[in-house]
Amino acid sequence: MTSSAQTSSPTNQLGRRFLDAQVRVEAVSKVFSSEPGLFASLRRLPRTGYVALRDASLNIEKNTFVSIIGPSGCGKSTLLNLIAGLDSPSAGQILVEGERVRGPGPDRGIIFQNYALMPWLTALGNVEYAVESACPELSRRQARERAREYLTLVGLERAMHRYPKQISGGMKQRVAIARALSIKPRILLMDEPFGALDALTRSYLQEGVLRIWEENRLTVVLITHSIEEALLLSDQIVLMSRGPAARIAEVINLPPLRPRQRSVVEQHPDFVSIKLRLEEHLLNETRAVEEHT
Amino acid sequence: MLAWQVLASQGVLAKNFPGSIKTLQELAWWLSDPFFNNGPNDLGIGTNLLISLRRVLIGYGLAVIVAVPLGLLVGISRIAESSVNPFVQLLKPFSPLAWLPIGLFIFRDSEMTGIFVIFISSIWPTLINTAFGVTSINPDFLKVSRSLGASQFRTVVKVVLPAVMPNILAGMRISMGTTWLVIVAAEMLLGSGIGYFIWNEWNNLSLPNIFAAIIVIGVAGLLLDQLFGLLQKRFDYQE
Repeated sequence: MTSSAQTSSPTNQLGRRFLDAQVRVEAVSKVFSSEPGLFASLRRLPRTGYVALRDASLNIEKNTFVSIIGPSGCGKSTLLNLIAGLDSPSAGQILVEGERVRGPGPDRGIIFQNYALMPWLTALGNVEYAVESACPELSRRQARERAREYLTLVGLERAMHRYPKQISGGMKQRVAIARALSIKPRILLMDEPFGALDALTRSYLQEGVLRIWEENRLTVVLITHSIEEALLLSDQIVLMSRGPAARIAEVINLPPLRPRQRSVVEQHPDFVSIKLRLEEHLLNETRAVEEHT
Repeated sequence: MLAWQVLASQGVLAKNFPGSIKTLQELAWWLSDPFFNNGPNDLGIGTNLLISLRRVLIGYGLAVIVAVPLGLLVGISRIAESSVNPFVQLLKPFSPLAWLPIGLFIFRDSEMTGIFVIFISSIWPTLINTAFGVTSINPDFLKVSRSLGASQFRTVVKVVLPAVMPNILAGMRISMGTTWLVIVAAEMLLGSGIGYFIWNEWNNLSLPNIFAAIIVIGVAGLLLDQLFGLLQKRFDYQE
């Protein structure tokens, strides 16, 4: 595995600080092929497929908060699934800490939009399951202790013994955050984690994530389509073009203002100009999507 | 009950058709001493019921023990699915009673044959429901489990099995209903149990006793079904 990391020597145009990038997406394409129908295979038509990503390259530095933003259907989630190892690229490769991604692993925690909590387990049970799976060397008691610790971190110490159906959407997502963090991943992958929540809960959770992240730095990749969310949380915003065959259009570095506050993001001239740029790009891309289909 | 009594006493239903009062009297008599044993053709209704229950529970238990793991396997593995599915489709519509002569030929024993018939007729609903449940699991649960580094076995035991539990129970409930239908018919030919009791009373032309037995079978089936209703409620985790 290390040999493959060495052969693809880091000399291309994105070579800046290439060697110590924690996640390297190298010329990755993803094609979802549909099974050819009988007619197509009889006539030997070329196999068609949906090209979700084409030649996407990206480097993510250790302990940065990166948001990936783009119009809907642009392959943001596809990219995240590839980094997570839940799906494999059709071309190109993804390296995490120099090793090629071959499948999912507990070094990468994942948070889904729909929480994906197991309804037969309590909040505590869900986090415990994660700890026991990822760290089999821990005893039962240690696993439980760790689960409690992380539920306390997200402010759920009093709802630990409730089942998912008994708690609100925001609380469910906090359990999912605790679950993802409890396995002490080096990279946290979030797929539109606040997309299904109402506006107030969303801002509350955004600030919670901001606080936790600023206190315990780790690499975060956040998929979102909210510009405000990306500006509030990230160090870097990756802007994607519209699909099919989505590319990475631009990588924007945000001013290193930490700890960050919502009011600053709303008023700081740099943030305001970036926000306008993002809005324009997304609006153009969305217009193109809507008018061509 | 009243309508039954009126219709029967007016001779509307059939000649000598027993009324509900007569039936209830017979039922009360049978229930007053349910476990007597005066030889194989004169057993108490309770004894017969227990014989039937025993066959049902053994056959059904074996069916569940086979059907659940097999169903999980069929749901998980495409290869298992394509190798088991043709047999399921072929054997499922086969009448349970048609297995009787085959069972008798193989085992040369009525007890074993009864259990075998129950087994073979109650395995399908549980098997099919389990397999279907596996294919309809929320894929995010599996993604989460994989991303946590849980082993294949751990995922099956800790995620797939509890996720499929409602389907398994639904299948087991249908299977249980089937066994209760099959055992009565099978026992008419096997020579003991509640089904044989009915056949015996038919030979005695004692219709009230047949109705009494029908009531007993109905109540026993109802209780078993209710048990599954409770279990299903326990494992119903609607979000």
